[in-house]
Amino acid sequence: MTFLIQQTLLYAVPLMIVALAGVFAERSGIINLALEGIMIFGAFVGVLFVNLTQTLPVFADAKAAGNWVALQGYEILAMVVAALFGAIFSLLLSFASVNLKADQTIGGTALNLMAPALVLFLIRIIANQNTLQMNGDAASWFMLKNSLFGMKRTEKGNFLWETFVNKSYIATYVCILLFILLSILLYKTRFGLRLRSCGENPQASDSLGINVYKMRYAGTTISGALAGMGGFVYALTTANCASTGDVAGFGFLALAVMIFGNWKPLNIAGASLLFGLFKCIAAAYTSIDINGDGVYLLTEIGVSQHVYRMLPYIITLVVLAFTSKKSRAPKAEGIPYDKGQR
Amino acid sequence: MNKTSKLLALLLSGAMMLGLASCGGGAAESKAPEESKAPVESQAPAESQAPAESQAPEETPAPAAKSAEDIPDSMTSADGKYQVAFITDVGQLKDKSFNQGTFDGVKLFADANGKSYKYYQPANGDQATDDDRYDAMKAAVDGGAEVVVCAGFMQGTALEKAATEFPDTKFIFIDGWSLGLDNEVGVTFKEEQCGYMAGYAVVKEGYTKLGFSGGGGGDNPACCRYGYGYVQGANAAAAEMGADVEINYSWQYGASFSASPELQTMISGWYANGTEVVFAAGGSMFQSITAAAAANDGLVVGVDVDQSSQSDTVITSALKGLSDATVWACGKAYDGTWAEMGGAADLGADTGATGLPVDTWMLENYSVEEYQAQLADIVSGKLVIDNDYSNLEQDWSNVKLNII
Repeated sequence: MTFLIQQTLLYAVPLMIVALAGVFAERSGIINLALEGIMIFGAFVGVLFVNLTQTLPVFADAKAAGNWVALQGYEILAMVVAALFGAIFSLLLSFASVNLKADQTIGGTALNLMAPALVLFLIRIIANQNTLQMNGDAASWFMLKNSLFGMKRTEKGNFLWETFVNKSYIATYVCILLFILLSILLYKTRFGLRLRSCGENPQASDSLGINVYKMRYAGTTISGALAGMGGFVYALTTANCASTGDVAGFGFLALAVMIFGNWKPLNIAGASLLFGLFKCIAAAYTSIDINGDGVYLLTEIGVSQHVYRMLPYIITLVVLAFTSKKSRAPKAEGIPYDKGQR
Repeated sequence: MNKTSKLLALLLSGAMMLGLASCGGGAAESKAPEESKAPVESQAPAESQAPAESQAPEETPAPAAKSAEDIPDSMTSADGKYQVAFITDVGQLKDKSFNQGTFDGVKLFADANGKSYKYYQPANGDQATDDDRYDAMKAAVDGGAEVVVCAGFMQGTALEKAATEFPDTKFIFIDGWSLGLDNEVGVTFKEEQCGYMAGYAVVKEGYTKLGFSGGGGGDNPACCRYGYGYVQGANAAAAEMGADVEINYSWQYGASFSASPELQTMISGWYANGTEVVFAAGGSMFQSITAAAAANDGLVVGVDVDQSSQSDTVITSALKGLSDATVWACGKAYDGTWAEMGGAADLGADTGATGLPVDTWMLENYSVEEYQAQLADIVSGKLVIDNDYSNLEQDWSNVKLNII
């Protein structure tokens, strides 16, 4: 059970945060198809940052001394750097779609095509190979483990401790916290209300003195920052802190999760957990022991592995089939705002 | 003037091709016309003779204290021709395993003998077709290659076409077989031997819950031999100790020899359920497996080369002397003894091509002396390890094999 929850979180958290990134852009009226590209770029920048700075005395010493607090700080710092560059990268999209009034779908697609190419090109120059990786294992640097808290190798904490602290990454919780804070920002503050109004009826917002361009820039930039961070969190937790110009389609999955979750944060959290759960079952069904009695039920029932691998996608299709009628996208998304139009 | 602008144009087009090639499918590997940033190392024809002259590869021939790390991956030759070419298998050049080990041999040989060298990655990365591989070989021959080293058994079809078409070029087929052509030699290894030694060693060390995660989806003969040897070794050690060993044995998520989140999750599941040591027999899959091991305080057995420098989780590695064998075979191509090989060479412990890394020995309950005694038995033929991996699913006396 512990294992299942932990692995589900590893898959669900990047999806969740990147889907929220999509919400911020779309709620402000910009379709952000570039989530995948920004994730790839963010993952690359974060990994590069760790790769370059991990030999600095301040971090190397912290690692050698087992100073885990400093290392967690380092992890968060890398997330911030990834977010920063994700935001900068997304400015390309905002510039094209706000200032130049270009077609947002095409702009996003262009970024999606550009990011992996650019990243692979840079990785080739830097590392002379197709993968850029930190030195050593991500888990031994950044993962929270019992041994860090002075517990012995065989010692075990209670269920909650084992599930949510041991073998977890602080990045997971930073993302969840950010998810909650930003959802509140979007729904319970003046800024959030204005942002959402620009995605529904920008002319009306403008008539009330809201600067639509500014709001759309804000939405897309927050979106870029979250997607960049999500990309790094993905690379850190599921790819051993390596960047390969690829995030296994998580950006597109996040788009699907966003639509699946009807552009609403709570639904998105549910959708990404559901998807993460099935993704985890697909990969590890042979070692999932739900009630701890030593029986691996999912293997015992003898269903083909291919069925398990299809599950996440089948479930998505089924749920979409049932919920898509109620699906309601922001009304003005994808339409460049023109002051003169009414 | 003209020359500089030409160079610039070449450089720019190289950069563009890189960008374009990688544009396609995300992780797609590019053919990489590494024209950029040529290391200005003149090739200074070193007079030192081939290190492993016409003789089976020794433990470490160590050509003039120069390690493969010191030799740049790409070089520019004065005449634009590259005499020794290397065609990669699926996976990356720098996989710190199979491709890299073979390429190290190419670099060492070329460096010691004043030859120019170049690597070619077939287009389309993991999805490379026989045509892509043939194109890479043709590019190598067109680039002036006298010897083409092809890594990986999947190159067979393309190699046959290329070797027939270019009879004057010598082809070395690492992990391959004899195609019956005079200009081709298949070099194979007795992977079951080092797999056996690794399996034996970890069980002797006291571990009873093992795992094996192999690449190639169960079709790769080398990986199959590794796995089969590993199980035999574990069984032999367990029988001696009267212990019962459980082995999770899987080819899943290994078809393309690459790291993936799914693989990491699967292996994490193994460790979470008590698996102690996992044998990572598949190039870049190693990354996912060490990531899972590091997260769960598990251990890993490396493959092909000594991988202990890459992760603290590596306890030992099943070595095969890729680099030595490549140097050896390249030497044969130049010193006129090519025909002696008769189209195929099968290298094992007797030529020092299989073993465990003694320099970085980390096992405590199983000593280097015990290992060397076992190695001597294998060399002398006292201990023969079966390599027919179709016998994998038998009734093992002390091993419970869970094929996943």
